[in-house]
Amino acid sequence: MSPKADTDASPSSNSNTADGITSGKVIDAVTVKKEPPPESKEAIWTRRLVILSFWAVVILIGLPVWWKTTAIYRADLPLQVMTDWADGKTCRPVFPLRIAVEAPALPSQDAQHLLRTTQHALDDLNEFSAHHLRLLLAESSTTVNTSQDILPITNYKDTGLHGSTNDEDIALSIRLIPGESGTTPRSELQPYSPTLEVYYTPNQIPPSSSTSSPLATFIANELQKVFAEEQATLAYLLSTSSTAHNSKIKSLSPETAASLERQSTRAFKYAPTYHLTFSLFTPSATPSAWEVESALHEYVSPLLESLFSISNFTVDTQVQLYATFSPSIRQPEYDPERKAWTLRKEDLSGFINAAEWPLSPSIGVGPTVNFVLYVPDQNQSPLLVKENGGNSWLIPQWGGVLILNPSTQLNAGIPTALSKDALRPAMLTFSNQLFSLLGLPQSPASLPLRLSTLKRVRAASLLFSASSTLGALARLTKALPSISIPDTVAKSVDQTIVHLHQACNELREGRFHSALEHARVAEAEAEKAFFERSMVGQVYFPDEHKVAVYLPLLGPVAVPLLMAALKELKNLSRSRKKGSA
Amino acid sequence: MLSSLIFLLSLIFVTCTQADSDYHERLLLRPLPQSALLASFNFRSNESSASFEHRNFRYFPRSLGQTLQHAHTKELHLRFSLGRWDAESWGARPWDGTREGGTGVELWAWVDASSDEEAFARWLTLTNALSGLFCASLNFIDSTKTIRPVISFRPEGHHTNSSLLNLHLLHGTLPHEVVCTENLTPFLKLLPCKGKAGISSLLDGHKLFDASWQTMSIDVRPVCGDGSECVLEMEQTVDMVLDIERSKRPRDNPIPRPVPTEELSCDTSKPYNSEDSCYPLDKDAEPSWSLAEVFGRPLKGACPLTDASGYESETVCINVPTEREVQVNTSGTYAEERHEDGLLRCYKLPTGVDFDLILPEQVPTANLALEEPPLYAARSINGHGQERGSVQAVITNPSTTSAIQFVYLESLPWFMKPYLHTLRASISTSPSSNPIEETYYRPAVDRHRGTHLELLLSIPPASTITLTYDFEKAILRYTEYPPDANRGFDVAPAVIRLLPSNSSPNTKNVYLRTTSLLLPLPTPDFSMPYNVIILTSTVMALGFGHIFNLLVRRFVGVDEVENWNTGGLKGMLKSRIERLRARFLGKGKKDE
Repeated sequence: MSPKADTDASPSSNSNTADGITSGKVIDAVTVKKEPPPESKEAIWTRRLVILSFWAVVILIGLPVWWKTTAIYRADLPLQVMTDWADGKTCRPVFPLRIAVEAPALPSQDAQHLLRTTQHALDDLNEFSAHHLRLLLAESSTTVNTSQDILPITNYKDTGLHGSTNDEDIALSIRLIPGESGTTPRSELQPYSPTLEVYYTPNQIPPSSSTSSPLATFIANELQKVFAEEQATLAYLLSTSSTAHNSKIKSLSPETAASLERQSTRAFKYAPTYHLTFSLFTPSATPSAWEVESALHEYVSPLLESLFSISNFTVDTQVQLYATFSPSIRQPEYDPERKAWTLRKEDLSGFINAAEWPLSPSIGVGPTVNFVLYVPDQNQSPLLVKENGGNSWLIPQWGGVLILNPSTQLNAGIPTALSKDALRPAMLTFSNQLFSLLGLPQSPASLPLRLSTLKRVRAASLLFSASSTLGALARLTKALPSISIPDTVAKSVDQTIVHLHQACNELREGRFHSALEHARVAEAEAEKAFFERSMVGQVYFPDEHKVAVYLPLLGPVAVPLLMAALKELKNLSRSRKKGSA
Repeated sequence: MLSSLIFLLSLIFVTCTQADSDYHERLLLRPLPQSALLASFNFRSNESSASFEHRNFRYFPRSLGQTLQHAHTKELHLRFSLGRWDAESWGARPWDGTREGGTGVELWAWVDASSDEEAFARWLTLTNALSGLFCASLNFIDSTKTIRPVISFRPEGHHTNSSLLNLHLLHGTLPHEVVCTENLTPFLKLLPCKGKAGISSLLDGHKLFDASWQTMSIDVRPVCGDGSECVLEMEQTVDMVLDIERSKRPRDNPIPRPVPTEELSCDTSKPYNSEDSCYPLDKDAEPSWSLAEVFGRPLKGACPLTDASGYESETVCINVPTEREVQVNTSGTYAEERHEDGLLRCYKLPTGVDFDLILPEQVPTANLALEEPPLYAARSINGHGQERGSVQAVITNPSTTSAIQFVYLESLPWFMKPYLHTLRASISTSPSSNPIEETYYRPAVDRHRGTHLELLLSIPPASTITLTYDFEKAILRYTEYPPDANRGFDVAPAVIRLLPSNSSPNTKNVYLRTTSLLLPLPTPDFSMPYNVIILTSTVMALGFGHIFNLLVRRFVGVDEVENWNTGGLKGMLKSRIERLRARFLGKGKKDE
């Protein structure tokens, strides 16, 4: 401050202005303020071009290179098609069943008429449009052949393996046999061949004028009865697997639905190969041997051969001694009334001591079906289930258990080896359990019919499961944009869709065996696509990591670039304003 | 002595193969010097080839059987080992070393395959399946840890000549693997009596893995008798050397306590001996022990699957001098038999009741003679620095009369690169001669294959071979280092197989293994990559910033800058402060 301000004693605002005046005077007196020489237009433009070219390099080369090198490869998937399959929009499975009618004793005109009236009666009865029975009149020549061929199992096997397609497409043959004795009409289902024999008296043949007859109604009712469970199962399957079909199918009673649900939760998922493991467990050292090979040969192998057309089976057996109960269940208690040791029903689920008993799944693809034969200790024998006195039960999707109480001669003790005869009840129980574990329907009584029903149900369920896997894959692709999708996945998806189409067509044509084959391939491919290993890896490399690695370089480089660009833009707008002003 | 005993036992085993039962087990106990106890458990079960093919498993465990079938493995040898066999104090190895493995896990198998690639694929299947079965990291045996030995191993089972053509021998080791209880549990589950009865009821993880040396082995081989049906034999052995004093410590109070002063036996001849100072005397008496004390649990009677009578039914044998007192404690009926001039006492166990052997404290009058091992071997890494090193193996033949021909097998990891031209073998007695007769060498390929070196050597009596070679240490990639990289890398033990001499070609194979080595590799600072990224980024950003500024800045004279006098950092700060003060004061006025 100058001394003048002190003497002046004026307010501070005044002193400021006075100060400013004096200093201004001083500068004026000494120098004129120097201005930088005006920038030439070229210089400004060069600078702008430099900045622009830097930005151009960053945006045109840097960003694309960065994008390209860090991009995740995603093959094109037909997402819409996949979703359509999952929603059931593409394929509506139908099951047209061909039923051959053999009437060797009837003139063809009468037979045709009977056929027509029966078909009418059937169509009236059927409430489930997807499952459709169509009657055909068998040619008389083939009739002779098939009627000669009909023998138990062997014949069935032949037709299953290399029978002509014509034979295979026929779901059931009805043989009309004129008979005088007994009540007529009556029907008989052959247990080992898909044949329904109907006995009638000639006067029951409808006259050509009438549109209905008791015989036709009878046949229609019988057919409906034979296929009732199959229809219910398929209807249940359709109702649970997709929303699109719901409106079209008949409603199931809650009891049927519950029992079907129990059946389907019990059964294993379909697999081309099942491993069967038969194990003998005992808490002591006896019995340590069993004639399992001959028992299996006699009681189980024939069944497996008849199931061959659906799946393959491998069989292994083992003997495990000193197998103790799991500590989590209550020990058996003695029931003096029954003179037996009893297990509580709620403990049955913990009966298998998973930690100790070596029941690991077999090596190789396909699920393992376990059958456990438990021989209780001598001082805990006989061992029964408390509630119903039974000795066997089924563990859903795992296998079956049977407690074998050796015939008790108190002084004899437990034999060291179990004979084939002693194993007979166990093997028969295991066979039954195997049927329900595979999802074989309970009725009708004919085994080939049950098998072909299983074939249709399996084809349909595989179709649905492959479709829903496709849908899940499509959803996954949409939900996780950071996972890569290799070409193999796209190829598998294409394969799945092709085979799904074929399976659907084959179903429509009524060729259920090849439908099952295609559905099987479709399911396998869909699973392969969904569980592709290389899709998972990228998920765990998040963007934050990339930023952490790039930031030390990109940060310091980006700051001068940005600042220069901002400054230049500011200058530009200022000069614009000046120009316009 | 010991090995001849075991040899005799196994001879008897072989002759008894046609016995009634298909399951045999035997425990051989033998006190060793320095209050050590060798316990050899042996379990053998047979399954006829036919029922094995049909997958009807009785004594053979189903899980292992399926694994072998799935991997087309015809003969399998699996070893889990821990510790070192002290040949100087304990003498020759049990089973002539054929049932032991190198530290960690060792696996070799003959796999049936039409080509090398197929054999390797099946080998990987096998290792993966066994890995799950035994809770061990066997799945880490990849191509870098697998070799195909030429002369070190011969099939033990009977294979037809035609099938031998398609058999491929593969050998893998995991020296880093720590063997522990989780491997014993599945091992016991493979036994028919499952550790609930028979000698296997003595096996307890706490004692087994506390032993000075222990090895568990599984051998599967086809055995064909003369004219009879072929069987698949599975042999499981557990050998362990227990320190008796240490094993006798109760499990709930395992900390060793000092002996009370009253119980100390002092050397009173020492001049400083007084009430508070004592020179303890060695006890001359052998310590007392019993099975239940040493193994921590009682022996729960015989496994009923073994033979009911005859030599095979005597499942517990103890090899002590004839004068040694052995008491039996059981409530059941047992039988005692003496073999080998009373040196071997065997007991037939009662079924269903506990059985215990008690050896009271006793001053020994005569010690059992230890059998001298046929060969001593030691191996070490020499040299210093991060770049090179050398391996030295010293092999001594103690016999004064017979020369020995043997195979020396090394399986080295790829990051340890030996220089074969530096391989030297010198004999102490005749330095000029070269003992190496044949060399099989398959060099390593980085990250794909380890080194496989097999040498056929012969050693004259009473001499020492010193085998040395130099190697280079590779620098690994950042991600190839294990979490504890500074600990070093384990190198698998060398396997030495003594070849039967010309005079007695029928003698069995004898194996011994050196200890594993710890190889320190140059280990980087693991934060290095981030430091490098940040440093280079900073340098690049600095350079870029300078060039960019040079290009886009306008340069003017100092006096041409606006507000230069008030300008600069000082001026800027000053004006900022002024402005702030003005705002602050203004606000204050408003408040008033």
